[in-house]
Amino acid sequence: MNKTKNTKQLIACQQCDALYDAPILKQGQSAKCTRCGCLLAERKVDSIERSFYWSLAGIMLSVPAILLPIMGVTLVGQYHHASLLDCILALIDRGFFMIATLVFLFTLAVPVVRLLGAFYITYSFKFNRLKPSLLHLFRAYHHLDNWAMLNVFMLGIVVSMYKLLDDTELSVNMGLLAFILWLICSTMASSALDQDYIWQELENEFVD
Amino acid sequence: MSIKTAQESGLALCPKCHKLNNIDPSSGHHARIQCTRCRGMFYPRKPHSLQYTLAWNIAALISFIPANIYPIMILYSMGIGDPNTILSGIGEFIDYGLYPIAVIIFTASIIVPLIKIIGLFLLVYRVHTGVRLRPDKHSKFYHALEFLGPWSMLDVFVVALLVAVVELGFVTSVSAGPAINYFTLTVIFTMIAANSFDPRLLWDKKQGFENAKGQNDD
Repeated sequence: MNKTKNTKQLIACQQCDALYDAPILKQGQSAKCTRCGCLLAERKVDSIERSFYWSLAGIMLSVPAILLPIMGVTLVGQYHHASLLDCILALIDRGFFMIATLVFLFTLAVPVVRLLGAFYITYSFKFNRLKPSLLHLFRAYHHLDNWAMLNVFMLGIVVSMYKLLDDTELSVNMGLLAFILWLICSTMASSALDQDYIWQELENEFVD
Repeated sequence: MSIKTAQESGLALCPKCHKLNNIDPSSGHHARIQCTRCRGMFYPRKPHSLQYTLAWNIAALISFIPANIYPIMILYSMGIGDPNTILSGIGEFIDYGLYPIAVIIFTASIIVPLIKIIGLFLLVYRVHTGVRLRPDKHSKFYHALEFLGPWSMLDVFVVALLVAVVELGFVTSVSAGPAINYFTLTVIFTMIAANSFDPRLLWDKKQGFENAKGQNDD
């Protein structure tokens, strides 16, 4: 057992540690673990191009999605609206600093940083400007995997609209459209990004 | 089952970049390894996975109690405050006849956290004792738990939105209640608990049993 193996031709399931020979996949194919059925490896179609443009669009949309008012209410002649940023500021106003910080992280900071990260990585691949620092960057990118909650916030918008519809006059603003588009772009940008391919390329470039 | 695991073959998988690394045989299975590809430090299995999961889970369970007792949202109209807990907020939706929304909120803020906490206790117990362990079923269950985690934040986001939008001075305004802190902590703790659990332990335990059985047969 002491001989070292060629780790490039082997692959292990992340969920159950089963060991396989690395499959050779064409674009659009994926391999599944025979023991636990989890995704083993995947080659995504046109990953760099798609992720590049989705993240570019996402970065541009993030400004209106954060700053434009999402919805407003009218009651006895008074009108008030709020954007995503206003939600955070209102929580700070009322002294809920922990909640404000977490809402800021999950719905604003993490999605923006993930978009910028995906953009920078795909930009470097597209224009062949690979740097060794990308290894650290992409590793940091994976730390944020679980913590973007734009989709949950979207459901939150829908629920609070229902709540407000009942006894106030509700108006929907441009911010909602921008937010929905931003959600779509950031979801597509991260799901189009082919992690296995990027890691392999970076390894071929810098590790050997 | 003739499937070999990476650990048995003297290999370890980097959790971040999914690169297989050779383990130095002299250092044993619990040593820290530096990944040759991403240069990150990692362990072949998450160290003290069960203890961490259990600890975060207990913390989540404790903070879930004040989250349900204190009001999560206070609705002021004409200067009079009307405090709402999570459950009374759901009751209001039912009173208004908004059943789908009531079901969504009930699922996201009561059922999901409870299922996560109970489910993780169950997984930890099963891995620890190995009683009726079904790795295929249990690992699917674990993935469902992991996926559901962030959706519990729904109620927090709803309150955050209402606080910001409904701000009409004396006429009506909404303020968050103390329960929102505890509820957010519950959600974060269950997410960290689910992250600390290592699903590979399920398969290790099962394989350990099968190997022991094989030896007894011989």
